[in-house]
Amino acid sequence: MKLSHGRSNIRWNWCARWGAPWIVEYFPWAYVEGQPGQFDWSHSDQVIDMAQRQGLSVVARLGFVPEWARPKDTSPLYLDEERFADFGRYAAEFARRYAGKVDHIIIWNEPNLALEWGYTKPDPVKYTALLRTVYTMIKAANPDVQVLAGALAPTLAPPGSESGENDLTFLQAMYDAGAAPYFDTLAIHAYGWHFDPDDPAHPDVVNFRRTELLRDIMVRNGDGDKQAMITEGGWNDHPRWTRAVRPGTRIAYTIRAYEIAQDEWPWLDAVSLWAFRYPWDQNSYQDYFTFVRTDFEPKPIFEEVKRYTQGHGS
Amino acid sequence: MTVKRKWLMAGGLFLLVLIGLLGWVVGGQGTPFGLYFGRDSTWHAMEKRSVWRVGVDPSFPPFEWLDETTGKPIGFDVALAGRLAETWDMQVEIVPIGFDSLLDALRANKIDSVLSAYPYDPRLTRDFAFSQPYFDAGLQLAVRPGSPIHAPADLGGKRVAVEWGSAGDMVGRRLQREGIDVALAPFETPDLALNALFVDNSIDALLVDNVTLRQAQASGRPVVAIGEPLESVPYVVVMPTRARELQQRVHDGLVHLTESGALRTLEETWFARRD
Repeated sequence: MKLSHGRSNIRWNWCARWGAPWIVEYFPWAYVEGQPGQFDWSHSDQVIDMAQRQGLSVVARLGFVPEWARPKDTSPLYLDEERFADFGRYAAEFARRYAGKVDHIIIWNEPNLALEWGYTKPDPVKYTALLRTVYTMIKAANPDVQVLAGALAPTLAPPGSESGENDLTFLQAMYDAGAAPYFDTLAIHAYGWHFDPDDPAHPDVVNFRRTELLRDIMVRNGDGDKQAMITEGGWNDHPRWTRAVRPGTRIAYTIRAYEIAQDEWPWLDAVSLWAFRYPWDQNSYQDYFTFVRTDFEPKPIFEEVKRYTQGHGS
Repeated sequence: MTVKRKWLMAGGLFLLVLIGLLGWVVGGQGTPFGLYFGRDSTWHAMEKRSVWRVGVDPSFPPFEWLDETTGKPIGFDVALAGRLAETWDMQVEIVPIGFDSLLDALRANKIDSVLSAYPYDPRLTRDFAFSQPYFDAGLQLAVRPGSPIHAPADLGGKRVAVEWGSAGDMVGRRLQREGIDVALAPFETPDLALNALFVDNSIDALLVDNVTLRQAQASGRPVVAIGEPLESVPYVVVMPTRARELQQRVHDGLVHLTESGALRTLEETWFARRD
C-alpha cells in the first residue's frame, strides 16, 4: 500500500511537531522495480523529500521481493540466493539516488522469523550471505551510507523451531558466519511486552533491556566500536492481549525507555518505536501499538511523549 | 440383455446417483450444490448434530473466562449463546480459541459462529456476516444521579475522571481542543476513576468504557450514563456469509431477548462484581 502524497505530508508534519528526529520508513523493492531494471522512484522521492522538508532523518528499510525475482507462489519475503544480486542492485540504486538524503539503510526485516523469511526456516548463514552481497553493492554506490543489519525479532523460540530462531543465538550465528564486516550498525527491535523497562535483561525474557544482551554479543565479537539503533519496539495497551499493559503504564514505560536509552546507552544512536500510525484499523491488538489513530487523532501517549521531548517531563 | 432390463438398470443407476447427490447436498457444508440451491449448509449441519459450535476466547471477563472450579468457559457471551441455542432447541458447544484465531477457525468451518466480545469490523463484511450489536463497549460519559450534566457540552468548568492514557483520556483532551473548558483528573485504572466519582465530590463526571460502567451499575453503584457512547465499540456475533438461515435466527433471537428484557437480565447477572 502506497501512501498518497497528502497523507505522507501530514504524517511527517505530525512527526516533526512531535519532536521526533528520526523516522523508519519501508521502501518495498516490488513497488519500485515492478519489472527488472525499470525503476519508478516517484513515490519514494515524495516520501523522502517531504521528510527532508520536515527536518526528519530517514532510516530506510528495504525488502519485499517483486514477483519477477522469486519463484511462483512464494511469499514476497522470500529471496533465493541467486537473486541476492538483484536485490543488491535495487539497494545500490536506492543508496545512490538518495545519497546525502538517506544515510541509513536496513537490510531486510526480522530474518529470524519464518514469517519474514518467506515461510522458510530462518537461516543466519543465508542472511549473512545476503548482507555480504548487498552491503558490498551499496557501499560501491554510496560509501557514506550506514548499512544496518539484524532488525531481529525478539523471540524465545526453542532450538530447532520452524517458526523462528532466538534473536540472541541468531546474532551470534551471524557473527560465526562472518557478518561483522558487512554491516555498520546493528538494528534492534526492543519490545517490552508487559515488563517494566527497568527490569534487568535475561536471555529467557523478552523485555526492553534485552537490547543490552544484543549489545553484549556485539562486544564479545569485537564489534564494540559499532553503534546500534532501536528501529522498532515499545509497549502495547490492548485491553485483552496478554502481552499488553494499561494505557497509563504504556506512557510511563515509554518515557522511561527514552530516558534509559539517553542516559545509559551511549552506543545507541536512535530509538524509533512502533508505530506512529497505521493507514487503516487492524481491529486487533496491533492497533494499540500506535501513537495516533488512523484519522490522525493523537492518543494521550502521543501528547505525553511530546511533552517529554519538549522538556516538560510527565 | 433385453431392452426392458437395460432401461431398468439405467433407471436404477440414475436413482442411485440422485440419492448420492441429495445426501451430498444435505450432509455437505459449503458444497457447490449447497450454494446452487441457495441453502444454508451451516444451519443444516447444526440441525443434523443439534449443536451450535461457538468460538470463544475465554480470557475476557465478564464476557468469557474459565471457571476456576470446573475449568469450563463461563460468562455473559457463553450464557447468551446458550439462550439463543435454547430457542432453536439445540445445545451449545463452546470451542475455546485464541482471539486472533477466531475468524480463521470460522473460515475453516471448525466452528459455526464467533460470540466472544468481537467488535464489528467493516473491512470484513465480504468475508463474514455480522449480527446486530448485542453490546456496545464504547466510551460513555457518566455522572452521579441528579447531576446537572446532560451532554458533553455541559462539561465546561467541570472536573472529569479518566483512566490516564485511555480512550476516555483521549476524548477528554479532544473536548479541550474543541474549546470546552473541562479539567481532566487522571487515574491509573478505570476502576479508580469510577471510584473517584463516589468518594471525591470535586469529580463531576467520568469518561469510561461501557463495560466498567455496566459492571458498576450491575453491582448497584449509583452512576448514570449520559446519551449514546462517544466512541462506539459494538460487539457482534460473527457468522459465515452463506449462513443466511443462521443469520436470521441469530437476528430474531437477539431481537426477542432484547424486547423481552432477557438480554438486560443476562447482562446484570454476569456484569455484577464477584469480587
